[in-house]
Amino acid sequence: MASPAWADEARETARATLADLPALTGREEDWRFTRPRDLMLEGPEPEAPGAVGDVDVPEAGQRAVRLHLADGAPSEPAITELPDGVVVGELGSALAEHEPLVRDRLLKLVGAGDKPGALNAALWSGGTFVYVPAGVDATLPTETVTTATGAAGRVATRTLVVVEEGARATVVDRYLSPDLPGRVHASTAVELFVAPNAELEHLAIVDWGAGVHHQMVLRAQVDRDARARSVVVTLGGDVVRVEPTMQIVGAGADARALGLFFAGGQQHFEHRVVSRHEAPNAYSNLLYKGALQDQARTVFYGNLIVPPGSPGTDAYQTNRNLVLNEGARADTIPFLEIETAEVKCSHAGAVGRVDDEHLFYLKSRGVPEAEAKRLIVLGFLQEVLEHVRLEELRHELEAAVERKLT
Amino acid sequence: MAEPILKIHDLQVAVDDTPILRGLDLEIPQGEVHALMGPNGSGKSTLAYAIAGHPRYDITGGTIEFEGEDVTEMEPDERAALGLFLAMQYPVEVPGVSVMNFLRASLTAVRGEEVKPREFIKEFDEASELLKFDRSFADRYLNEGFSGGEKKRHEIMQMALLKPKFAVLDETDSGLDVDALKVVSEGVNSLRGPGLGVLIITHYTRILRYIQPDVVHVMIDGKVAQTGGPELAEQLEERGYAEFGPAEAATA
Ligand SMILES: Nc1ncnc2c1ncn2[C@@H]1O[C@H](COP(=O)(O)OP(=O)(O)OP(=O)(O)O)[C@@H](O)[C@H]1O
Ligand SMILES: [Mg+2]
Repeated sequence: MASPAWADEARETARATLADLPALTGREEDWRFTRPRDLMLEGPEPEAPGAVGDVDVPEAGQRAVRLHLADGAPSEPAITELPDGVVVGELGSALAEHEPLVRDRLLKLVGAGDKPGALNAALWSGGTFVYVPAGVDATLPTETVTTATGAAGRVATRTLVVVEEGARATVVDRYLSPDLPGRVHASTAVELFVAPNAELEHLAIVDWGAGVHHQMVLRAQVDRDARARSVVVTLGGDVVRVEPTMQIVGAGADARALGLFFAGGQQHFEHRVVSRHEAPNAYSNLLYKGALQDQARTVFYGNLIVPPGSPGTDAYQTNRNLVLNEGARADTIPFLEIETAEVKCSHAGAVGRVDDEHLFYLKSRGVPEAEAKRLIVLGFLQEVLEHVRLEELRHELEAAVERKLT
Repeated sequence: MAEPILKIHDLQVAVDDTPILRGLDLEIPQGEVHALMGPNGSGKSTLAYAIAGHPRYDITGGTIEFEGEDVTEMEPDERAALGLFLAMQYPVEVPGVSVMNFLRASLTAVRGEEVKPREFIKEFDEASELLKFDRSFADRYLNEGFSGGEKKRHEIMQMALLKPKFAVLDETDSGLDVDALKVVSEGVNSLRGPGLGVLIITHYTRILRYIQPDVVHVMIDGKVAQTGGPELAEQLEERGYAEFGPAEAATA
């Protein structure tokens, strides 16, 4: 089915914006840590490094739907079971097939106003659309695996999730590739609409092989008394920048942005995490923990924004980093912008090393140093995993982190 | 007399360049239980850590031999693999590391071979039962939120699981209620035999009534000042350490 005219126009507008926007130089405040050209936001269109074949997608646990987007190309989802009224499909097809549901929401949270947004809006080739009607429980996860095979220089995809009033959903986006012989750019936009009283858990698992440079912008709009959780697990990719924002638009909402990352070799990860309280009496918690080794570099920037008119805000922000050796470097920049009185906000950022006493305790019980460090790192990251609601997913994530650590 | 399981000769240990142990000699034949008593700050825990190989305790002179092998330079995990165990005075909390995962890694390392999951669970349950631990402790994080007494009891549970050849119990009795002291003592006594040597560091004769020592040593200012039979412990409890001279003078 051809895409509707409004969608084509949106693409055209994005292309024009992309051409008009001034080049990012890396001197902008937001771009101090990750060079725009490392994410191929500037410079020539990336060339395909050459196909090395697709990655074996690990058979994860039970899923309601699985969708595989090889190099971001659209494909048919494999549906196991879906409650009545729930729609899960490839986003490109949904433009026409579910036009009334998509039209008012696509590009509304992650638009084409800036370079990364415009790039994705102009170039996205495939994506995921999830719609859960009011009162329906779709907690059995829907999973999309986006892979890079080396056959394309860019992999641009989008996710649009709509959870209507009182409904529940779990959505997983997983990003995988084999080690690639050259650079591939991945661009992701994730839009999450969480209606009053609804509940959504979204997991983004970034586990690329070598060569992938990935930028993801995620925005959740969380309405009255809704509960939204974004979990970001960043393990693989040469340069990865993830920007989750929890935008609270209804009173009494509960929004959590959780993240864990493990960086090694020359990997460079930046996480920019924001919660924005545009309504009173809401709770938010940003918790990011990371471990890094070798010459890896990580940056965490967090911001709690409470504009005027949001009394009763209860907001927390924590970032802790474990640096396993000299030569690896973590920066943490926790920020607050509070313009309402009568709020409870706290923020903390820390960069530390493995505690000698922890290491000695484990070694004194015979555990060799490398294994002891592995246990300590897993334990350190466990605090984040504990927040993952579905036990099965939690165990899968633990396993993914363990694989990365060996 | 059996061969010594532990033989310490002229041991000198410094912490942050401050000498704490100043030429300590100690020999413990395999199968015996020795008690070590001494005033606060005399260096008992320093000795315990030095035996276990804590990197902060710098061995500046002397030797530690375990079963005839010089372990002075060995890493703590290598010593543990030889059969050495330290029940710590202040067991460390390790966030996020579950008791089960930790002890599986530990037993595997000490045995030097993979322990089958079923075999592990069986031994884990036996040790838990011996020290009266509920199964729910398996999933808890190591020492996190354990009460003071639970931490101490858990050290002995680990000892029961790992079955060392030699164990140092550093004030395992401090902070234990009467019942817990009994459980811990019975645990240690059930492990006692010709294949286990023990060094009990304590301030009180209470634990020594349950776990009767063969020999009692008194440590003053980083050295063994006197060695005697079980009656020495009773004397110390009555008279204190005054006859060994004021601790301040000794440390100065
Ligand atoms: N890590 C350390 N840093 C600084 N000083 C230390 C350290 N460990 C031991 N010391 C010092 O070494 C001396 C001996 O301490 P140690 O803990 O061995 O005594 P102890 O005999 O076990 O005392 P207690 O009966 O109070 O447990 C003390 O003066 C103590 O302050
Ligand atoms: Mg002590």
